[in-house]
Amino acid sequence: MTKTINRRSLLRGMIGGATVSMGLPLLNLFLNENGNAYANGASIPTRFGTYFWGLGLTDTPAGGTRWVPGKTGFDYDITPELQAIAAFKNKVSVFSGFRAIPDTSPNLVHWSGHASILSGVAPGSSGRFEAPTLDTRVADAIGGTTRYKVLDIDASISRRPISYSTRTGTTFASPDQSPLALYQRLFGDGFQDPNSDNWAPDPTIMLRQSVLSAVTDQRQALMRSVGHEDQIKLEQYFTSLREMENQLAVQLQRPEPRDACVLPQSPEELARAGSVDVVNNNTRVMARLLAMGLACDQSRVFNFVHTGGTSETYVPGQSKIYHQITHDEPTDAQLGYQPETSKLAGLVMEGFGAFLEEMDAIKEADGTLLDNCLVFALSDTGYAKIHSLENIPMMLAGGASGRHKTGQHIHAPGESVTRVSLTAMQLAGAPVGEFGSGSMRTARPVTDVIA
Amino acid sequence: MKIASISGLAAPLAFCLLASTPFSAPSLAADANNTAAEQSNNTLVVATRRLNEAQYRQSIADIFGDDILINARFEPERRERGLLALGNATLSLTAAGFEQFFNLSQDISAQALDAERRDAIMPCVPAANSSFDATCATRFISQYGELLFRRPLTQAELGARLATAATGTEQSGDFHTGLQLALASLLTAPEFLFRMERAEPDPEHVGQWRLDAHTRASRLSFLFWNSAPDAALLAAARNGELFTEQGLQTQVQRLSTSPRVEDGITAFLLDMMQIDGFDSMIKDASIYPKFNQLVADSARQQMVKTLVDLLVVRERDYREIFTSNDTFLNRPLAAVYQVPYTSTEEWAPYTFPDSAERSGIFSQVGFLSQYAHPGTSSPTLRGIKLHEIFLCEHTPEPPADVDFSAVRDSDAATSRERLLDHMSNPGCIVCHQRSDPPGLALEHFDGLGQMRKYENGQLIDVSADLFGNQFVGAQGLGRFLYHDPRASSCLVRNVYTYGTAQMPAGSQRAYINEQIAQFTENGHRLPTLFRQIASSPEFFHVVLPEGTQQDANQLAESVTAQ
Repeated sequence: MTKTINRRSLLRGMIGGATVSMGLPLLNLFLNENGNAYANGASIPTRFGTYFWGLGLTDTPAGGTRWVPGKTGFDYDITPELQAIAAFKNKVSVFSGFRAIPDTSPNLVHWSGHASILSGVAPGSSGRFEAPTLDTRVADAIGGTTRYKVLDIDASISRRPISYSTRTGTTFASPDQSPLALYQRLFGDGFQDPNSDNWAPDPTIMLRQSVLSAVTDQRQALMRSVGHEDQIKLEQYFTSLREMENQLAVQLQRPEPRDACVLPQSPEELARAGSVDVVNNNTRVMARLLAMGLACDQSRVFNFVHTGGTSETYVPGQSKIYHQITHDEPTDAQLGYQPETSKLAGLVMEGFGAFLEEMDAIKEADGTLLDNCLVFALSDTGYAKIHSLENIPMMLAGGASGRHKTGQHIHAPGESVTRVSLTAMQLAGAPVGEFGSGSMRTARPVTDVIA
Repeated sequence: MKIASISGLAAPLAFCLLASTPFSAPSLAADANNTAAEQSNNTLVVATRRLNEAQYRQSIADIFGDDILINARFEPERRERGLLALGNATLSLTAAGFEQFFNLSQDISAQALDAERRDAIMPCVPAANSSFDATCATRFISQYGELLFRRPLTQAELGARLATAATGTEQSGDFHTGLQLALASLLTAPEFLFRMERAEPDPEHVGQWRLDAHTRASRLSFLFWNSAPDAALLAAARNGELFTEQGLQTQVQRLSTSPRVEDGITAFLLDMMQIDGFDSMIKDASIYPKFNQLVADSARQQMVKTLVDLLVVRERDYREIFTSNDTFLNRPLAAVYQVPYTSTEEWAPYTFPDSAERSGIFSQVGFLSQYAHPGTSSPTLRGIKLHEIFLCEHTPEPPADVDFSAVRDSDAATSRERLLDHMSNPGCIVCHQRSDPPGLALEHFDGLGQMRKYENGQLIDVSADLFGNQFVGAQGLGRFLYHDPRASSCLVRNVYTYGTAQMPAGSQRAYINEQIAQFTENGHRLPTLFRQIASSPEFFHVVLPEGTQQDANQLAESVTAQ
């Protein structure tokens, strides 16, 4: 593909220690998706990310809802479980009533819901998706010019790393799980300050490129003798390799200046505990690092997990975890909902509030980073007590550089969740016209929120 | 394209590999120079199994020395049907994972070829340090390429690395820098990071396939040593010895009597017993003040030490893992077990007295704390895991349509009563009547595994009834498991599956039954079981991947066309 640099001739000029100004050939990856203009610093890029939290929000068959606003369209009312995002109401669109439709596939608890939203296909078994997740398609469209194509972050402090991003359906991304790990990825070795006056290309990068080219040279020979499943795996391997090549190529380019980019302090390693206060704090610290990473243009696409599908978070000192409570707690006959569950849902949403606060805190041009982002927030389930695939809460936050008509409540009972997925991809700038399969196949985005 | 290829699973490509044109017998003749053997065009990759962290580390230590520092965070693994060995055969490498391995490759090659270590690992001295020596580079890349790829390099693979080394030498003015780059490239290659298992036409059975010699070598080596084949095993593969009964026996004997077999069996036990996740165990500090990371690490070590001592060092009957109270303690664990620690050593052997109510591996803090919640024990989780790990009985996903609204929150004092409340629900009872009883027998141990007799002031009842089998407490459960034939059968199946990354097929039932019978006859000894399975032809059974096409070149074209 873009292996056209004459490494040898460039290296000759550099290894002597001279800081030559390099005339790199015009690589495809330095052009925008249309290939007709530079992705220059003058225009601020649109970023895309997913934000996942576990166990949905409370919407009981018995007595109404704790989260669905009564009013649709602009200026919707703030319900108890949306309290945490009240300050950002005008920047967040809320989608209610949408459902995952598994057709003949089973309802795999705490799995089918977000698998449907993210991959468009209801999977046949837990732990696998049947198609790549939408973030990879957005990343293929807008993520090619930065050091990292995608950043994967898991703030949940869980027993195992949690990621719902996959290209193969079986191999999921390996997220950074602590602020320190995320800091090192973004601002550790290899970080180039876009605002530095004395930038010079690192001559060892070209030597490192030669390590990879010997591997890619063997790709054809290897692919010749593998079966279908292994082909998919090896394709993913070579995709990962190309991302590394891209990373090295980006580091040979002088970065565009970024006004909002200020190298942050290295965070302290936090104590590991899974209680919701700790997870929310972790979410805030990691969101702050992510926001600066985006402002410094280290990546334009991210996946952020607050808590996993069967969320193990809990209120400190309480012996039961959130997941258990959603199932065990009876519905209060008078209130019409599960009070403890609803309280936890509100606490979990505070994590999203903190996340948005951090994204909105960075100024970019006349607005904020959040205005230039599209954050697709979603959960695994509707009413968690019964593993409902109906009314799974979803939100789109941020202006997507003006493309998103923010601040609306869209209520569409029975509609497929993939309509919101498609909307998110299109707002983020991915050239996708159709998404999903079976009853979830759709070519209809939610046009109300598209400017 | 990705969507098409994944959802295309529904319509697997036409499969017409067998009963095909006669293939010429693949060349197994050793290349005289032990370099650059051409891979037969007829070989087929039948599996790609991602190296796990321990295998990666052990391979590097064996090939370059155990003082090479490996500082990295490895990608998460995936467990399928109870085994990581199965899950890892489905995994690829993410961008973040690739980056880690890429950085490691340069780190390791810089250490391996630094001025101090160089003499020990270089097979030759270059004519000059500042210019490229093709002969010496060829020797170096061939030798280490074979060790890392676990088979000789092809001419093309060698050529690509020679080019890297030559360019690197020219640019840097240093021969060893050039070699470092070539070595890093080997360490980054999929042929190192994945165990690529290959099959070739079987010259003795026309139309059938067999695992090629080097794949056989790797299966043996990873089974017994959890590492790449050593020079002797590679030589045996090159010479075709692994296709003869005697040659195979010689290697099985050599590998299984080496002290390194402890690494191999330990790796298996860690996988089967699911001894992982201790780095990220979470307990609520106000409920379990004695818990900290040191306790978690110690609990893991205790399980490993107990199992290795019992099954490998003393070669006891496997079933004693359910009944033996011989173990090891260190100071942090002694506090949790409420035992005075008097030894001056870091670890000391210890036997739980009868009154401790412990019984075997599942009654240790490691198991009990792993399968519990941050603030409470969980009979259900423990019961599910006991069935899964020791009996190979997997609990299905909870049905989505269970009517949880029928479940009433219970104020009952003990877990048993709370669970019994749930048992009134017909949707729940199907699974819980199986999962809960063994867990209820362990209720004298709290969420950290500490002994207790009371919960919320009420005496805990640890009697259990599992489909008519009645037992009391951990010791009763231990005796029940000791006599349950499913335990032996589960172990045998797991050893086979672990080594081959394939579940035994239905057609292999007789073979598995025969292995179980032999295992029983041999006194349920695990090391003997390893030898027995590795010596059987079924251990090298070929399962052709779905979508394999008849003509290898055709396949290559279809790949390019995508």
